Amino acid sequence: MCLGWPWLCVPPKFLILVIRNRVRERGRMHISRLQLVNYRNFGSANVYFKKGINTLIGENGSGKTNLFRAMRLLLDDDMLRMAYRLDESDFHRGLDNWRGHWIVISLEFDEVAQNEALQALFLHGVGNVEDGQVGRATYNFIFRPNTAIRLRLAELGEGDRDGLVRLRNAITLDDYEVVFTGKSTADFTDPDQYRALVGDFDAVRFPDEMEPSEIGGRVPKVLSVAKEISFTFVQALRDVVTDFQNNRTNPLLSLLRSKSGEIDQAALAPITALVEGLNTAIEELPDVGTIRGDIRQTIRDAAGETYSPAGLWIRSGVPAEAERLFQSLRLFVGESDDGYEGAIHELSLGGANLIYLTLKLLHFRYQKEKQVCANFLVIEEPEAHIHTHIQRTLFDRLNYPDTQVIYSTHSSHISEVSNIENVNVLGRVGRRCEAYQPAAGLPPGQVRGLQRYLDAVRSNLLFAKSVVLVEGDAEEILVPALVKDVLGVSLDELGISLINIGSTGFENVAVVFHDTRLRKRCAIITDLDAAFIDTVPAPGDNDATQKAKAKVLGSQRSGIARRIRLDGFVAGNPWVTVHYAPHTFEVDFVAAGNQRPVVAALPDFYVHAPTIALATAELGSGDIAQFGTRVLTVANGAGKGWFAIQVAKKIDPDTELPDYVAQALFAAHSPSRAMIANIILYRLKRLEIDRRGNPDTLAVMFAHVERFSAGQIELDALLLEMAAAFPADQISRVLNHLT
Amino acid sequence: MTFVWPKGDLNDEQVDAITIPGNVFLTACPGSGKTRALTYKAALELSRLATTKQRVVAITYTHRAAEEIHERIEALGVGTEHLWIGTIHSFCIDWILRPYAIYHPALRHGFRVIDAHGTERRLEEHCRALRNGVRPFDCSYSYSTRGCELRDTHGRSQQAVGSVLNRYWADLEAKRQIDFEMILQFAYELIATVPSIAILLSQLFRFILVDEYQDTKEIQYGIIAHVMRAGAGRTNAFLVGDANQAIFGSLGGYAITREQFAQDCQAPFTPKSLSINYRSSTRIVDYFTNYHVIPAAISAEGKNRLFESAISYDHTTPSRQLEDELVRLLRYNIETVGISPREVCVIAPQWVALADITRRLVVAMPEYSFDGPGIAPFARNIDNFFYKVARLALTEPSPQLFVRRLRWAGDIMLELERAEVHLRGVSPRGLLSMCNAIAIDEEDGLNHLRLFFDEFLTGLGIVLADYPALANHHETFFGDSQARINRLQEDGLQGISDIAMFRRVFASRSGITISSIHNVKGAEFDVVIAFALLQGMVPHFGDLQVESAKKLLYVICSRARKNLHLISETGRMNRGGPYLPTEVLASYAFNYDDVPD
Repeated sequence: MCLGWPWLCVPPKFLILVIRNRVRERGRMHISRLQLVNYRNFGSANVYFKKGINTLIGENGSGKTNLFRAMRLLLDDDMLRMAYRLDESDFHRGLDNWRGHWIVISLEFDEVAQNEALQALFLHGVGNVEDGQVGRATYNFIFRPNTAIRLRLAELGEGDRDGLVRLRNAITLDDYEVVFTGKSTADFTDPDQYRALVGDFDAVRFPDEMEPSEIGGRVPKVLSVAKEISFTFVQALRDVVTDFQNNRTNPLLSLLRSKSGEIDQAALAPITALVEGLNTAIEELPDVGTIRGDIRQTIRDAAGETYSPAGLWIRSGVPAEAERLFQSLRLFVGESDDGYEGAIHELSLGGANLIYLTLKLLHFRYQKEKQVCANFLVIEEPEAHIHTHIQRTLFDRLNYPDTQVIYSTHSSHISEVSNIENVNVLGRVGRRCEAYQPAAGLPPGQVRGLQRYLDAVRSNLLFAKSVVLVEGDAEEILVPALVKDVLGVSLDELGISLINIGSTGFENVAVVFHDTRLRKRCAIITDLDAAFIDTVPAPGDNDATQKAKAKVLGSQRSGIARRIRLDGFVAGNPWVTVHYAPHTFEVDFVAAGNQRPVVAALPDFYVHAPTIALATAELGSGDIAQFGTRVLTVANGAGKGWFAIQVAKKIDPDTELPDYVAQALFAAHSPSRAMIANIILYRLKRLEIDRRGNPDTLAVMFAHVERFSAGQIELDALLLEMAAAFPADQISRVLNHLT
Repeated sequence: MTFVWPKGDLNDEQVDAITIPGNVFLTACPGSGKTRALTYKAALELSRLATTKQRVVAITYTHRAAEEIHERIEALGVGTEHLWIGTIHSFCIDWILRPYAIYHPALRHGFRVIDAHGTERRLEEHCRALRNGVRPFDCSYSYSTRGCELRDTHGRSQQAVGSVLNRYWADLEAKRQIDFEMILQFAYELIATVPSIAILLSQLFRFILVDEYQDTKEIQYGIIAHVMRAGAGRTNAFLVGDANQAIFGSLGGYAITREQFAQDCQAPFTPKSLSINYRSSTRIVDYFTNYHVIPAAISAEGKNRLFESAISYDHTTPSRQLEDELVRLLRYNIETVGISPREVCVIAPQWVALADITRRLVVAMPEYSFDGPGIAPFARNIDNFFYKVARLALTEPSPQLFVRRLRWAGDIMLELERAEVHLRGVSPRGLLSMCNAIAIDEEDGLNHLRLFFDEFLTGLGIVLADYPALANHHETFFGDSQARINRLQEDGLQGISDIAMFRRVFASRSGITISSIHNVKGAEFDVVIAFALLQGMVPHFGDLQVESAKKLLYVICSRARKNLHLISETGRMNRGGPYLPTEVLASYAFNYDDVPD
């Protein structure tokens, strides 16, 4: 198939930039919060939205599609019927037993206005009256056991576990009911409130109240929320061609359907007449008459006059009604300049995607023209399969004020985030998906700082499972190399993103890791800058020495001050830890026993043989004043980044991983038992290959690792065996930081 | 497209009344096509709605009127999707109590409405329990915008009645039930204390039409006025009624003046009137005009205007011969004048034992059939779920009834949903054909219905015990009906428990009608025979004002198209002696006709 459209996947940087510039943010009704309870991979999650453009970031499998599906169950007219077809698989798998639990999908709308006629019906049904007026609205989907079951649960005596088990075993999906409510006040994601409304399954305590007012009142018959709003969903552009071929999902047909109802009958009359004439002309074709006669004759011959039908005709069925006539229209597109017009299935994927997206946007525009009280455009992963240039042009025209746009992305290439306050990060914790708001609760100044950082640097930290923050090129280059060679696994495999924040200041970035924001682990690695030379002024110190000593002392003082500041910053925050290099990264790298790779790299920095010899001697001196001064001289002379690149080339499995780095790694991410076993196996295999280990001892150790993998011994026991068997290998020291 | 009606459908007065912009206060004399004007007004305003969000609301006095007007608008070819029509109680429940229940402390955990029978039974219980001499009928109360008011304690102390009512209210609250009066009270409290309600409703309601405004209660005017005020011109109102026919004063109804309502709504109302009577003869019109309270010029212009009406007044027949006299008058009109029995109505004040008279007439005139509320084996309790099912059980599928029965099936589905019965994949049409397929071979009416309901519930997979609200309705339906049948049988009415008698409740009028004055509202007959026109009954001794008597007589007399027969029988005994004829009637000098034997 031809490749008429270049469709390299490129970050949708422009897309976001453009939308941000175009949408004027006005006081306007919008979705401000989504609560998901026990729905698919969400146990209990809060997603917060702002008016304008919202970004939903998450790796694959983090629940983006399910989140959109939840919203569509409430807002998408096409999906409403699915709300009545929930089944067991819709319950959160984290529930050990779904029976008796509720699924709740709750939407909150903010900046509603009780004086706006277009919103009156919506607010009549779901507007919350608070402080004498309607300031927000809540609209909930609740899938719960019916009253009969809930009454029986309430009748259970407190603590009657056997009774509960019996009752739950008998519950089937037929005992469940769907309720749509509005005007609710409950926070369904609050475990205490959930227990109060639904019940406490552990303590066997269920509420007597069958109609708790907190869940709100039933949405009145007169209101259909999906009809009051305009909601357009653009799915991830994966199966576009299939969509075009399906009558229900074909975006062209839905456009034609919505327009055919508005056709001026007078304009249609001549066409109808033509169609009828056409039908008559076809029916009057001599051949048609002949066939009709033959059929009649054959029936008569076969069945006899009595049993033959009284009449039989052949009719031409070209539709004359507007709707059916319209739906016989097909879209043909000329993709290249050769004049050939192809049907959709002949288009390149990129071409089909573009047409699909265009039709969806047109659908949205038609929707918007109806009298609705709010407009929502939800786009799933717009970055996939559309060339940046086309995206830019397309979204450049996507100029819809009064519209809340929510789009999801799984691209970690997004180097820019529209507005950190409009971002939700979805993350997976085991089987559960959670939603985080990176800027929640931060004062405006800090939000701006964070925004500037994210604008300038890669927004990797929003995608990371866990993060190690460093503030220098040397760390950024050497730490991954060390980990890969020493542990045999990459940082990526460990699930750690190492991010160099440069001179931004750790607090400005690490602030996103918090109970109320990103609940992911973050380890900060920084220098303490303690002096490693004698700083006591000595008689006969020259000016330069005096200045150097003063400078070292200054660094030491500011190192202490930074430590106090950072320790204070992370105090009470279980998500962030700080790990200090006692002196300076390069100095402590050598101090850890790593003069070897530095020495090996010296020819890259010095050409003068005597200098290399001197440097080699100093680096091997074991005196921190000597090797410390030398390594800094080399690094500063070459530039720290260049220095690190050269040294990194010399790193091997015997290069020592400094303790504070190991601590930082394991504070950020605690590797699984399987991962630890792999690391030790890696070390043992190195020893085996290098013929440095006694084969018998190795065999014993391999057996120990196997027992560890099987859960028969614990890590500390394994490490004791390893230290006894191979005392010179650093791995027992490194992994000891895990115990 | 704006609704256009064929020329001649409406007269100039009616056209003027429904086309003038803004709020209208329409005074309509009897037989002047008031319902027609209201129907066309609703159709017109529905066709003028600019957005699909808005509604036209029509408030009628009875469910029957709502149903009739609804069908009439549909027959005019105007879509009723954005019409809401019903009684004020339904209005309060649909638009205020259900959507805003969570903002009222008494309703926030849900509520159930108990009907008049339920109220009476509860009051009986509490009266029995307290033994303070208070009887249920001493306890009628109503709410106004000022609070609770006792209607007529029949001499019992307010304190004693209050203690019964307090028990009654506490009992209801514990059961999360509310009675009809509380519907109005809570709706008023909500709309008065939560301003957003009126603001939102005023944006949803383009027009509020009120039928029979003269029987509207003060608190009902209050509820509507709140919406009107919040709308500040967005919502218009169209009130139709006749102050001369305001006979529900004892229940709290009254005809507000245009000026007062305009002030309450803070909006001007254009006064309009319909003064042409299309119903009666000139003689009848001239006669009932005499009883007007508020003067209104009425001209008879219908096809009966030249009919030579017989208007008789009999104040000599002793009460023990009343039955014979009624039979004589009935036979005269039907057999001599040639009036169809369907077009004859016997009217009496509601205090008279109508069932007793009916029974005796049934015996005396076996060749005729009779229709009357007194002989229905169960109450028209529209709010009872099983009454709604009974409508389908007791009517036969027919093309004429199809639309109506389909709507009834829709009503049932709505009620099921409210009772939290969730039916998957059942449509009103499906429900209807399911009901049509139920065949019960049982002649006893109550047993018949019981079996029908069982099959109905089984067909839908409903176990009654799982739904307390429905179970409660079931119990009430059969409890009330059994009590009613027992009473009728004690009165000597035979065959009342037959399924045929049940079916007649929903059959169209076929025999001579027997009705109380209050129930005859809105109806019309060729011949009206009224008895027990006695001081203390008309007017009732609880309200002995001349005006009250006049309004009752005005309503009675204006029902007749052709002949009118008034009887103040002698010898009915009151506590202090025999009743005397209604003073207003007795003192009116009129050239009455004799009715030949």
